[in-house]
Amino acid sequence: MTSAASASDGSSRRGAAASAPASRWLVALALIPTALIALPVIYVLMRSWGAGWQAIWSELARPRTLRLLGNTVTLCLSVTFFASLIGYAAAWFTERTDLRGKWLWRVLCCLPLAMPAFVASFAWKSLGPSFQGMPGAILILSMESFPLIFLPVAASLRSMDPGMEEVSRSLGKGPGTTFWKVTLPRTLPALGGGALLVAAHMLSEFGALALLRVQTFTTAIFQQYELQFDNASAAVLSALLMLLCLPVAFGEMWLRRGVRFSKVGRNTARRGSPARLGRAQPLVMLGFIAVAIVSLGVPFGRLGYWLVKGVSAGRGLDALGPALFGSLSLALPGTVVTTLIALPLVLLVLRSRGFFARFADRLPYVVHGLPGLVVALALVYLSIRLLPAIYQTRAVLFAAYAILFLPLAQSAIRASAELVPREIEEVARTLGRSPLQAFVSVTLPSLAPGLGAALALVALELMRELTATLILAPTGVVTLATEVWSHTNDSAYAAAAPFAALLVLISGIPVYIFTLRTLRPRTDHQAL
Amino acid sequence: MYDVTRRQLMHLGVGAAGAAMLSGLPVPARAEDQTLALYNGQHRPPVEALVAAFTAATGIAVVTRNGNSAQLASQLIEEGANSPADVFWSEESPSLVAIAEKGLLAPLQAETLKQIPAKYAARDGAWIGAGARSRVVVYNKSMIEESALPKTVLDFAGEAWADKVAFAPNSGAFQQQVVAVSLLKGRDVALAWLKGLRQHGRIYNSDSAAVEAVEGGDIAVALSNNYYWYALEQELGPDNMNSALYFIGQGDPGTLITVSGAGVLKTSKKAEAAQRFVAFMVSAEGQAAIVGAIAEYPLRPGVVSPFPLKPFDQLDPAPLTPADLGDAAEALALLREADLA
Repeated sequence: MTSAASASDGSSRRGAAASAPASRWLVALALIPTALIALPVIYVLMRSWGAGWQAIWSELARPRTLRLLGNTVTLCLSVTFFASLIGYAAAWFTERTDLRGKWLWRVLCCLPLAMPAFVASFAWKSLGPSFQGMPGAILILSMESFPLIFLPVAASLRSMDPGMEEVSRSLGKGPGTTFWKVTLPRTLPALGGGALLVAAHMLSEFGALALLRVQTFTTAIFQQYELQFDNASAAVLSALLMLLCLPVAFGEMWLRRGVRFSKVGRNTARRGSPARLGRAQPLVMLGFIAVAIVSLGVPFGRLGYWLVKGVSAGRGLDALGPALFGSLSLALPGTVVTTLIALPLVLLVLRSRGFFARFADRLPYVVHGLPGLVVALALVYLSIRLLPAIYQTRAVLFAAYAILFLPLAQSAIRASAELVPREIEEVARTLGRSPLQAFVSVTLPSLAPGLGAALALVALELMRELTATLILAPTGVVTLATEVWSHTNDSAYAAAAPFAALLVLISGIPVYIFTLRTLRPRTDHQAL
Repeated sequence: MYDVTRRQLMHLGVGAAGAAMLSGLPVPARAEDQTLALYNGQHRPPVEALVAAFTAATGIAVVTRNGNSAQLASQLIEEGANSPADVFWSEESPSLVAIAEKGLLAPLQAETLKQIPAKYAARDGAWIGAGARSRVVVYNKSMIEESALPKTVLDFAGEAWADKVAFAPNSGAFQQQVVAVSLLKGRDVALAWLKGLRQHGRIYNSDSAAVEAVEGGDIAVALSNNYYWYALEQELGPDNMNSALYFIGQGDPGTLITVSGAGVLKTSKKAEAAQRFVAFMVSAEGQAAIVGAIAEYPLRPGVVSPFPLKPFDQLDPAPLTPADLGDAAEALALLREADLA
């Protein structure tokens, strides 16, 4: 039994799906994230509008705005391109060749996920000024974000039946043609999903770019908030940033159009015959080692150096416990809330192709590129006016987390959800189960890998989230990330090092879970 | 398409808010609770030292919300009348001036204001300085001789200094320096200075990043506050420093006194305790706690800093007070005109 997949197949499925009405419950549940996401959008538009046309136009017409646009687009496209190249190549070598020591290379390709970009950038910056500026930023950020491509592509290669490639080869097509015509198109959704996340990350990246002295819309928005207290031009820049997110959000959707690779039956993917590397074997290994040195060796080495050295070491170590507790007490429930809120969005868009479903599915991606600062201030403004009782409670912070990181959960859940053939749930229905029973007994278990991956990915991001946490957390709550920030702000790198190291260590747990989920030895499902 | 009425939407909104509230577990406030909420934009070591001393002396607990001063000021403005903050301690006076202009600060007690020279507080007594520092030039000793450094900070914008000067337009203290140049030398000179710096200097994200770049040998000179250099010296050890401080003096805006300071929020429900906190900041005990943890000059006469600072009375700074510098809005206009913001 082979996997049933082709574009035409997908579109016929889509037709079937569209005719089945999505339940009103699902629509109602999907309204929650949509309403949440709408909050910062409304805030930004309201603030821009309040500035007046004159101010908006003078902001847009400034040469600086054009320069920021150039920088933002250059960084976003370059990092996405290089991360895709490295991530895809690494995935292909570890899944489709006879490379030795695959296990080691896979682990090395996942570990950079645990390293926050601002920690890595700090490490590189301290090596010399030549790593500052655009080329350095592109190098460092590509190296820290390629795992977001590697993991989904590796999972997709792994679950793909190599039979298709073998058929292509047996029909006399060369390895190149087979790759372009068979392998690449079928890994495109995974590649697209990963690339989308990398691109959105680059639009909202702040810490690393501030350290490397690269100016983008996001760093300019932060600067506006440091310079000014009534923020019309920051709002205009935020609105522009959302416009930039639009092509990213819809580009990925276009990439996935009509493609659906359901498999019926378990363990259908089997091992194909791997490509032989021959004499290129050591060369490929050298490549992996080089990537590992850049993405892991330097940052970890630098962190270790600061851990050992410095007279401020030991200062505020008693804050390690509260900071760890703070991180976990915010990140863990925040992760669950974000994932639960994302679930109906994914289910809705798989069941309905109506306007609302597609709109609700895409809206979070548009906001994903906004800096946490803007989302946080929007929630300050709205919550203190509309619901002062919840201001500076965890509720508002969790709402901010959901607004910022829904797309991560959505992508992870969708990868699993797309593999669940609707027919199975329909069979359950015809056997007399209620829609809810059918969902709980059939669909939900199949979604487990995707939900697991979503939880791990979101937890990873929440653990290192800084700006929204600083602004919205209950007064007095500190996290590992806020402690690292405050100590580096005071040039106390040795004091920051234990917090940074603990942050990386704790981040290792979701990375481990996520990696395990994704790269588990051949199974019926895979995440992302 | 799904027909969703406004009423259904409202129900959903209320339901979601209710669920969010439950999951948020807000801590119920006790009626007699005197715990102060401090919004803090100042560096943490002096604040932690002062809070510990205050709580030990008065028994009043303080919960601190740390952040960037300007962002906290934005947050206080967004919060408006519903702000839960009692005291705002800012790294720079412009953030205090900005919220005072919005009418968010209550007047401080006359007794408190009397503790330090009047020129380091707001003219109307809305906020008070807690520690002073000087704008300085940090230079790398192996890259440049002290004797080669100029007699005015304006020279750094010239072509002779191309690629040698680090500055941080985001820094609140730099903005105050821009205002000082504008007040003392005229707006056109200030604008030309910024344009020159943009063309020939190198932009850093913060004063501390600029100082580290000089210490690391990336660049020869940085415009900074004095205490960033002392923080780095504490981190690296006095014998290992590649950089040193240079004071221009002679009333030049290159040596400018700025202050960190605090004010009491008008909306504070614990005004008495909040006023006590600010009074403690300028008491002998409070000042000693602050200057023991950061290389700022004490503002209260008779208190001595343990850091090897250049004596305050030998600085010969620009003849401007923090109140003269205001909310630094002029700096933003100039930075925008010079294409630096």
